[in-house]
Amino acid sequence: MLPLTLLDYGVGNIHSLKKSFEQAGAQVTVETEPSRILAAKALLLPGVGAFGKVAAQIAPFRSELKARLEQGLPAFAVCIGMQILYESSEEGEGEGLGLFPGRVRRLRHARLPHIGWNSVEHEGRGPLAGVPSNAYLYFVHSYAPSECSDPCVATTDYGGRFAAASVRGKVWAVQFHPEKSSATGARIVRNFVDFVSRG
Amino acid sequence: MLTKRIIPCLDVKSGRVVKGVKFQNLADVGDPVELAVRYEQEGADEVVFLDITATIEERRTILDVARRTAERLFIPLTIGGGIRTYGDVKETLRAGADKVSMNTAAVDNPALITETARDFGSQCVVVAIDTRREARGHKVYTRAGSKPSGLDTIEWAKRVADLGAGEILLTSIDADGTTDGYDLEVTSSVADAVRIPVIASGGCGSAAHIEEVLTRGRADAALAASIFHYGTMTVGAVKDALRRKGLPVR
Repeated sequence: MLPLTLLDYGVGNIHSLKKSFEQAGAQVTVETEPSRILAAKALLLPGVGAFGKVAAQIAPFRSELKARLEQGLPAFAVCIGMQILYESSEEGEGEGLGLFPGRVRRLRHARLPHIGWNSVEHEGRGPLAGVPSNAYLYFVHSYAPSECSDPCVATTDYGGRFAAASVRGKVWAVQFHPEKSSATGARIVRNFVDFVSRG
Repeated sequence: MLTKRIIPCLDVKSGRVVKGVKFQNLADVGDPVELAVRYEQEGADEVVFLDITATIEERRTILDVARRTAERLFIPLTIGGGIRTYGDVKETLRAGADKVSMNTAAVDNPALITETARDFGSQCVVVAIDTRREARGHKVYTRAGSKPSGLDTIEWAKRVADLGAGEILLTSIDADGTTDGYDLEVTSSVADAVRIPVIASGGCGSAAHIEEVLTRGRADAALAASIFHYGTMTVGAVKDALRRKGLPVR
């Protein structure tokens, strides 16, 4: 059974994310302690909170965490968890991990937050394997990485295209919430658990 | 393309589902967790639980319902009713709700909107506005529609958006429970006045009502209760009807 460590930022609902990975066959431990997070076999970065707060929380072990991810620590990141993998954000102060290049920007749409089910265009790479292109997934955010070239593997349009999923090595990041995306989301979660379990 | 959302709402009292007609005459129709899961299977985009007990001692009941639901529901869950304080918001989110909806508390203490949006994110702060048509326009009511606040609905909607609300759940007290259709006028006025998503509520009796509130009413989402509970229509059937009319639905 795949041991997964969920980094708890201390705000919001993490139950559904934990449960969705458990249903896919992972054993999820919730952690706030940096030493235990750095010792993880595989990491789960949840999607609740604000950029500044999350950046401040990871600041004390930022370089160690980045090094672990660069050395091949498998990780699945959702929403704000994805955004923190970029260099910085228009949403708030603080440094992201900088594993992905670029800055997270505010969406350019008249109605924000972007809330609801939107179609995701992709070519079936990484998280999206076995998911039809233009499948609907659940989004809730006002900021997103605008870079739609590598490492981006899926895009969505809401006042312009943004990165809906990015992949680098064993780090998979998605802007939508698979744990809130019913059966399609469950498939994406299972893809990660299978990918890491295969080694 | 972003789709229009269909959101079944369950009124929950002491851990059981009921549906009030004009906020009275309650009839018990089942377990909230089972119903929520059934709605997900039918294609619901989100589910809302409105806790209508909301006495202090029964707050525990809805938190337990939230926990049990989060174990089994994989679409967003909003919980409203009885949210009074920052602590209530935090506790409800931690129990397993993705969003909280506040109504009376937002009117009594607008700073609560800003504080909770700052710490938990705007996306989880839904401000519920109960509105009633009066001689001088639409006015906001609190305490389950029983108390006039004196606030103008459009002005209050703009204000809550400025304070940091992520969405507005707009319920027409006049239309609620009638099954004669949503109040299109107030819905479109609010949707035009703010730049956050608006969920229309109150009065739904058919798929045609949902279609008109999502088009002429300019709502981003439609909330309904009785037509789904009493099996008048399934969520899937409503979506088929909307799709035939060319609306983007999942």
